Amino acid sequence: MLRRVITLAAVAIVSLVAISRLNAQSAWPTADSYVSADTDAANWILPARSYTGNRYLAHADITTANVSTLKKAWATNIDARGPLETSPIAWNGTVYVTSSHNDVYALDAKTGAIKWHYAYKPHVIAFSANRGVAIGNGKVYEGTLDGHLIALDATTGRVAWNVVAAHDTTNTFYTMQPVPYKNMLLLGASNGDWGGIGYLSAFDAATGKRLWDWKTIPGPGEAGHNTWSGDSWKRGGAAIWSGIAIDTTSSTLYADAGNPQPDFLGTIRKGANLYSNSMVALDISGATPKLKWYHQFIPHDTHDWDPAMPPVLFSGSVGGTTRSLVAAGDKGGNFWVLDAGTGDVVYHLAVSTQKGQDTEPNRKGDIACPNTNGGVEFNGGSYLPETNAFYVPSVDQCGQWTSPGTATYVSGQFYLGGAFPKLIGPSSGYMSAVDIGTGKFLWRKHLAFPQIGGALSLSSGVVFTGGVNGDFTAYDAKTGSVLWHSATNQTIQAPPGSYSAGGKQYVIVASGPAGINFADPRFAKGAPTLEGTYSHATKATITAFALP
Amino acid sequence: MRTIALRLACVLVLALLAPVQAAPDDHAGAIAALADVRAAVAEIVRIENGYAVGHGAYVRAAHRAMNALVGRRDDGYVSSFGDPGDGIGTLGHLDTMLDQEASWRWTPAIEGAKANVLAAAENLQSALGQKEMEEYEADLTRALANLALVVGRPSQDGVLGGISGALGNTTLGVPAGAASVSGCALPAHAPAYGVVAQRLVYVALPRHAASAAIPAELSIGRVVVRDDDIVLYTRGGADATAACRGATRLQRTRAVAATPATPPYTAAQAHDGIAIYKHSCIQCHGADLQGTAGPAVAGTEFLATAKTNKWTLADLRATVFENMPFSDPGSLTPKQYAAVTAFLLASNCYPAGTAPFPQSASGRLAAVKLGPVAGAKPANSKLGTCAAK
Repeated sequence: MLRRVITLAAVAIVSLVAISRLNAQSAWPTADSYVSADTDAANWILPARSYTGNRYLAHADITTANVSTLKKAWATNIDARGPLETSPIAWNGTVYVTSSHNDVYALDAKTGAIKWHYAYKPHVIAFSANRGVAIGNGKVYEGTLDGHLIALDATTGRVAWNVVAAHDTTNTFYTMQPVPYKNMLLLGASNGDWGGIGYLSAFDAATGKRLWDWKTIPGPGEAGHNTWSGDSWKRGGAAIWSGIAIDTTSSTLYADAGNPQPDFLGTIRKGANLYSNSMVALDISGATPKLKWYHQFIPHDTHDWDPAMPPVLFSGSVGGTTRSLVAAGDKGGNFWVLDAGTGDVVYHLAVSTQKGQDTEPNRKGDIACPNTNGGVEFNGGSYLPETNAFYVPSVDQCGQWTSPGTATYVSGQFYLGGAFPKLIGPSSGYMSAVDIGTGKFLWRKHLAFPQIGGALSLSSGVVFTGGVNGDFTAYDAKTGSVLWHSATNQTIQAPPGSYSAGGKQYVIVASGPAGINFADPRFAKGAPTLEGTYSHATKATITAFALP
Repeated sequence: MRTIALRLACVLVLALLAPVQAAPDDHAGAIAALADVRAAVAEIVRIENGYAVGHGAYVRAAHRAMNALVGRRDDGYVSSFGDPGDGIGTLGHLDTMLDQEASWRWTPAIEGAKANVLAAAENLQSALGQKEMEEYEADLTRALANLALVVGRPSQDGVLGGISGALGNTTLGVPAGAASVSGCALPAHAPAYGVVAQRLVYVALPRHAASAAIPAELSIGRVVVRDDDIVLYTRGGADATAACRGATRLQRTRAVAATPATPPYTAAQAHDGIAIYKHSCIQCHGADLQGTAGPAVAGTEFLATAKTNKWTLADLRATVFENMPFSDPGSLTPKQYAAVTAFLLASNCYPAGTAPFPQSASGRLAAVKLGPVAGAKPANSKLGTCAAK
């Protein structure tokens, strides 16, 4: 007994030391710590590390010289009912992740041991997916598949509050990772294939009370309303569902609004259909957002080619001049670089095969490339200042669309005016490095499988990404040569992250079943990976890697 | 419970006997749709019988016919060629008629007419791409054959009757605001339309005005001349008499419990659906049908959602037949789609019957509302699912 008391005392002392070392850092991130999140080497507290949306680490122990020795540090299995898309949040020795069905896990950052697990049982409208949690005020926040916003006690996993956040829970759900900003949680709704109108909301982080909504489709009397024929705007879609970026100095929020609806039938929504398939820059300094500018990537889209990539703000050199830029990517296969101040296009280039983009789906069926899941997907890519290059994975597929020429809204069902396309021809992917200075490829790799795993770039010149066949790969940022790989044997459609614990840098990624959109017929036969073969994954795993 | 069944029986009897009026503009829509078809036919006949010289006249005729059929909201509409129709087009009128929650006796006929309009439009489109005169004429002839089916025949009820058949034999033939009475007895006053179970049994007209007022789309089977009026019985009148007898019997005995509209499917279909589900659906919807990457498709949660969202069997059918399997929609045969839908119905504890789940779209499915099944005994009480065998 005496020995136990002594051990406890020792633990207490260690804890005190740990707390004092944290010094001014409070128990939970403050509004200021979010703003300077990119300088905090130990923690990862925003979806894409900082408000810029750029998964970039300025200080890294992992380098081109030692990355080949990277080893699996721990792996923890979680609920595997659907694909994992979670972007891990790491804070003070705990990693917070989610499963496809909104289960939330707090894991020990050094061992992967489950500290607590919160199980939620949402009604699933169409796709089960979740991109992760936000933390703050001793709470863990999650948007759910049944349109709720929930807050859990971050140390116990118990529910602090649970509010119905979506306006119409029959056709709206949340997959986006909430973004803490000042006293708010910013969250976009997924309703853009189910007959809703897109909106981005701000909730009071303390209570879940709605502070504002910004709707993506202009109503009667508003500028841009005349880009919709008749009443089509009422179910026009344009959901903000993937991610956002914020320039905290100018209080400008950058978001991409998704595809218009009905997805595959343009004849009943004639016009450009603003602000579908557009990047919008919103002034969020006031009580409600105000539109500063917009740029529409694909007007009057009829193939569900929304700009799925979350915006990435960066300062890059174009033709020898340093400029404030914002990058975007769409499922139509384009990678875009815009002027962050004006929205003017600096340039764009095709990162996937493009064909037949001007034809509309009809009764016979039209073939176009990319497929609906093609092009740049929802994890986007990353900018590395050291090479002045942008690293962006993409999908290379073509599809055949058909539309019967009519669309019927049925509550809680797809509102498509046709069917999702059938895959035509081969399915592959690219990992591309775009030289920001010239707008041309620095290098690119054509890979056997779709690439949607986003990118994490390190100042040391290493870029991590994952493929749907489970290959988790480290590339040399300058040359594109593969420096290291690990076969997770599960589909990777979650972005890589990083944190430090116990003085050691970890790289972390989620992998799991392929889900609906990225199931590949080749998986059934055993698909090739860099280390063997992959077959349909049945488990879902969070894996952390570290140097020995 | 017994009382409710009796009440339902009464409601059903009343529903059968009470004259059911189609939505007011459906009749006008059908007449206008027919006019547009005839305008299109006239264009085709004119060019086929004429002696036009030069490519332009042929292109123009096909475009004008197309315009009359598809209407200005369709992509196939090219306004520069002019429109011999009313601009809404046959397709526009038919879509409006079909775009409603209710399903009528005439719905299958109008659905059939729409399918034939689409086929005619395809043939016209094909004609426009032809370089050889013979090929052009062959396409136009095919379009004419399609349009003959759209117009249909007043003597025929159901899908083969086309628009004329629906106007001549169902409540679609009753103009908005016209007096509609039970077709089981002669009318007290004329003009009046006698209907029973959504069939048009007769049109009664005052004698002095009769000759001018006989509806064009009426196939007269029998005429009853009375002092002040004449009653023109439709050819379908004989069936109606049977319906009247049945209704009377039902009314008299009040013993036959009415069943709410239940989904049609057979146990054999559901059995065939098991293998199809395992091959094409299980990956996203799960072995227990509760959903993995996709949503639940059977059981307590699914049926509760179906009820909340007011899903009908037609909605379920559309999703399964048109959108699934998600990665390859349309890849199953109609027979396979019907089987897997039957499997879903069985898994949701709906009782199997003798009528199969239809392989083609049927307006009747829209009348079947989905929701928790009364008296169901789920094999899996936790999930609320039944086992298809």
